[in-house]
Amino acid sequence: MSQAGTKKGAVSKLNRNAAINSLIICVVLLLAWVAGFASRLFAVIRFESIIHEFDPWFNYRATAYMVKHGFYNFLNWFDERAWYPLGRIVGGTVYPGLMITSGSIHYILHLLNINVHIRDICVFLAPIFSGLTAISTYLLTRELWSSGAGLFAACFIAIVPGYISRSVAGSYDNEGIAIFALQFTYFLWIKSVKTGSVFWAVAASLSYFYMVSAWGGYVFIINLIPLHVFVLLLMGRYSNRLFTSYTTFYILGLVMSMQIPFVGFQPIRTSEHMAAAGVFALLFAVAVLKYLQSMMSKSEFKFLVIWGGSLAAGLVFATVVALTYAGYIAPWSGRFYSLWDTGYAKIHIPIIASVSEHQPTTWFSFFFDLHVLIATFPAGLWYCIKHVNDERVFVILYALSAVYFAGVMVRLMLTLTPVVCMLSGIAFSILLELYLREEDSGPSEIEGDESTQGGKRLYDKAGKAPKIKHEQVKEQDPIGPNIRSIAAVVLVLLLMLFVVHCTWVTSNAYSSPSIVLASYGSDGTRQILDDFREAYFWLSQNTADDARVMSWWDYGYQIAGMANRTTLVDNNTWNNSHIALVGKAMSSNESAAYEIMTALDVDYVLVIFGGVIGYSGDDINKFLWMVRIAEGEHPKDIRESDYFTEQGEFRIDAEGSQILLNCLMYKLSYYKFGELRLDYRSPAGFDRTRNAVIGNKDINLTYLEEAYTSEHWLVRIYRVKKPDEFNRPRIPVANRVIKSSSFISKKNSKRKKGLIKNKPVVIKGKRSQ
Amino acid sequence: MKYLIFLIFALVIGAKAQGNTLVLLDNQVIKETHSLFFKSLQDRGYSLVFKIADDASLNLSKYGEYLYENLIIFAPSVVEFGGNLNVDTVTQFIDNGGNVLVAGSEVTGDVLRELASEVGFEVDEEGAFVIDHLNYDISDEGQHTKLVISSENLIDAPVIIGSKKGIAPLLYQGTGILVDSENPLVLPLITADSTAYSYQPDHPIKEYPHAIGRDTVLIAGLQARNNARVVFSGSISFFSDEYFTSSVQRALGGLKAEKSGNQDVATAISQWVFKEHGRLRVKSVQHHKAGEKTPPQDYTIMDDVVYKIGIEIYDNGKWTAFSANDVQLEFVRIDPFVRTTLKNNGNGIYEAKFKIPDVYGVYQFKVDYDRVGYTRLYSTTQVSVRPLQHTQYERFIDCAYPYYAGAFSMMLGVFVFSIVFLHMKDDDKKSKHE
Repeated sequence: MSQAGTKKGAVSKLNRNAAINSLIICVVLLLAWVAGFASRLFAVIRFESIIHEFDPWFNYRATAYMVKHGFYNFLNWFDERAWYPLGRIVGGTVYPGLMITSGSIHYILHLLNINVHIRDICVFLAPIFSGLTAISTYLLTRELWSSGAGLFAACFIAIVPGYISRSVAGSYDNEGIAIFALQFTYFLWIKSVKTGSVFWAVAASLSYFYMVSAWGGYVFIINLIPLHVFVLLLMGRYSNRLFTSYTTFYILGLVMSMQIPFVGFQPIRTSEHMAAAGVFALLFAVAVLKYLQSMMSKSEFKFLVIWGGSLAAGLVFATVVALTYAGYIAPWSGRFYSLWDTGYAKIHIPIIASVSEHQPTTWFSFFFDLHVLIATFPAGLWYCIKHVNDERVFVILYALSAVYFAGVMVRLMLTLTPVVCMLSGIAFSILLELYLREEDSGPSEIEGDESTQGGKRLYDKAGKAPKIKHEQVKEQDPIGPNIRSIAAVVLVLLLMLFVVHCTWVTSNAYSSPSIVLASYGSDGTRQILDDFREAYFWLSQNTADDARVMSWWDYGYQIAGMANRTTLVDNNTWNNSHIALVGKAMSSNESAAYEIMTALDVDYVLVIFGGVIGYSGDDINKFLWMVRIAEGEHPKDIRESDYFTEQGEFRIDAEGSQILLNCLMYKLSYYKFGELRLDYRSPAGFDRTRNAVIGNKDINLTYLEEAYTSEHWLVRIYRVKKPDEFNRPRIPVANRVIKSSSFISKKNSKRKKGLIKNKPVVIKGKRSQ
Repeated sequence: MKYLIFLIFALVIGAKAQGNTLVLLDNQVIKETHSLFFKSLQDRGYSLVFKIADDASLNLSKYGEYLYENLIIFAPSVVEFGGNLNVDTVTQFIDNGGNVLVAGSEVTGDVLRELASEVGFEVDEEGAFVIDHLNYDISDEGQHTKLVISSENLIDAPVIIGSKKGIAPLLYQGTGILVDSENPLVLPLITADSTAYSYQPDHPIKEYPHAIGRDTVLIAGLQARNNARVVFSGSISFFSDEYFTSSVQRALGGLKAEKSGNQDVATAISQWVFKEHGRLRVKSVQHHKAGEKTPPQDYTIMDDVVYKIGIEIYDNGKWTAFSANDVQLEFVRIDPFVRTTLKNNGNGIYEAKFKIPDVYGVYQFKVDYDRVGYTRLYSTTQVSVRPLQHTQYERFIDCAYPYYAGAFSMMLGVFVFSIVFLHMKDDDKKSKHE
């Protein structure tokens, strides 16, 4: 972590000020790292060191596989246990950066004879990387503004909930390391733009390569950096530095990104990457024009620019359009359309819209995730616009695009968070510099970049009021000492509230492993609901090793990771029609579902049912998405409107639509629930999640049988009967042509004799005639 | 003495070989009137246990083990079985692989009707006979219920009834059976003629009869999915000594024989229902890549694969090689990607060679041999087919040589250019200095 500090320390003109500066920077960054690490441990302390949620389970499983079988086997891993019977080529459909990172940490530790289980490395990877993120944020902000602002930004990013939400201990996901790679790439890019050095540009492209290997969000970089270049060109800020850094970065980054199997030829084949190529061409055009400008007269040049420019632009545009139509360039993918048109996904690709983190963001969650930063970052943005230079153009673009994307999708709040931290750091730095300056703030600015530590340490860690050279106001400050101290106290209070809020949010909202639930009684006692692991353990112990488990795709990774059983669909939602088939099975009636299930060789069906404990994330609440996804592929068999009442409501009680009350998902969720009375106040079959008495209490299953229900009914597992269990096709009573009289048995425990009609009876003692 | 004990012992073993059979009767008289049928069973090694159907001590199983392998119910008028026997225990017996032969009559009791419905048949109403005013025997008493059935009406399955050609006309008197036409497992072993119908002979016909013409099944069979077999006959007299031995002559002329074919057919049916005929099993399954011996961990797309399956048939108490030319193999991933007829290599070994399609996934080798009369032969073997590994792709592609040339010439060019460039610069400087 201490490169930042040591770099400072290496300044040849070592004097006392610089030494203290670097010491403070070191200490603050170290504290930020520690604080960031510590506040991410709530889940580990409250529960245990486990992998959280859904996607992390796959990442963990893949990492464990890589550690066990080696990298090349991982690269060639064909997982026949996922997406039965299609299988999944894991090596070619995964961003391997995360697995390689934790795998190499594991390797190094074992070289040093430190025996750490790979699970613990996975659990603690994201908290550790949050410290690296803080440092790279510091570096980036220092390049943009000042060292002091950088320290603020580092402290903010260390504890801000918007980033913690994706990086708590146990949340072993790509984003955990990707945000570090993102910030570090931007830092190196800014550095290379500033210096125009090939060295920094190469470093930026290497860091970009790491980002590509880690997260699909690399597309954000490969669009933002060209945008930066483009806007600089528009502003007439072309320079040879820019030319060197971008061309080096683009070519190296392009070649390296294509080395990731999952990315492959996308960088030259898809529309998302075309902007970078276009800017690359434009940069050359501008460079040529600049060169020509030095050789031609003004009017000649003007003519050339207008005609040549428009001709070239038209040519490039026409080529791209033609290539797209010819199929050489793939058009924008659905996920990207949904970034521009928020209603697009809901209509065309329900599978994307069904994920809660793809929903548009509510204003409330901006405050929830960023607190005071959301209010102060426009101030920082304004300062950047006011004192614009090449690199601040970058942060302005970063802020504007990230704000837009965060507004479209909750998930992209993650990319907004770093820039908000940076700009707020700048804003706070300026404010405190203004209000905390001591009266005789004379001699502190020795080097332009170097800020002073004029302020005192604030609250726990974010503590320095820097001074910026070009912010220096020479004349007497009009602000009086009282106002200064009041404003300072108010600012400090705000920052303290921010810390309190961050800790509270982290503790309450983002530290639940979601595979272990906790509920609190009225007296504050905590109850652990461990139904998920209970049921997955049951599966792993009581079913055949190659048993195939059908469930909604949310639980695919968990079943594979914890129960080690074959799944039909999982969270890697690459095959929409396969998911739609499962959705169709879930939303059809039992016999139609049985046909699908036998075609797919399903052995067990797993459903999540929250009606007993009031868990809202269960399958009935997700059910409409299953219907919608199934309808997208099978519009003749499944219609969403069939599942609503005539008034257009989705009701599970007696007024609900009959199709809903008899579909497989409903039956499996509520099987035998009608007999269960939860407490004396509510009637039997009262669903606590939806606050209604279920409409179909008398559920009989023909083709399935209950195999396991966990303690709180959260997970219910059913066994699908094999066709040979329907041994004899009996004729049901209703279908019989010849109605037989209802017969009442005369047998009982004592009299076991049967009855034969017209039986000759021998009467003792009677003589035959 | 020693020999005698040995002989008895051998007899007991021999009797055990065909399994225990419980025979339920209406009364002891049936044992005498159907003695030929029972004797043919005993001759074939079945040990028969005769019980009256309402016996209070009836039991099919003891301590969870079945006491009998087969069950014969020659008790048409039973209304309720005695002891622990009821419809549920009998159907459970079938579900656990037991074979059942049931004979009803015009007075078929409720328990048998219920049992019939459980296996997919229905017995016509009480008192109903199959009546045919054209095909009745000369000895019929005026109601035209003692029918002469041509051997043409037998099911077309040599496994069940042997060759149709040599069978004399059959005698039949009893009720009709309706089978569920949507049920693929039910086999109409003997159907009535197209002029027959099923009704109570002494009632005027007011309603449409339940069974008309060829839909009237006389003897129906079922092979359940677990290969248990059930035969339900509408007539108990079909199996009687009287019908076995009597001559047959169609009253309106035509069919005529000294001795009816009942004995042949009844024997054949009993052989089939107690699984002496038509039992198939898979002896072995092998699959491997062409040119190898053992199955690989997983196949790669476009591999050549060899699949071998050995099939045996139960014949005269021994498992012997089965020979057919219509056994098919499917290579299935939801849908069959390859469907091919297996080549009979003799000795019951069938073989197929094919190329795995260019689609990766989890596949199954599936042999599903389902022929009328035979037990269902079903064998699946699951294998994974993986895509090429990263080392298995071509290293150099022919059509890419221009690009290779371009790349290397470019590298060379830059190298040369940089040398020239550097030297030129040096020269310039030198010349300037000079």
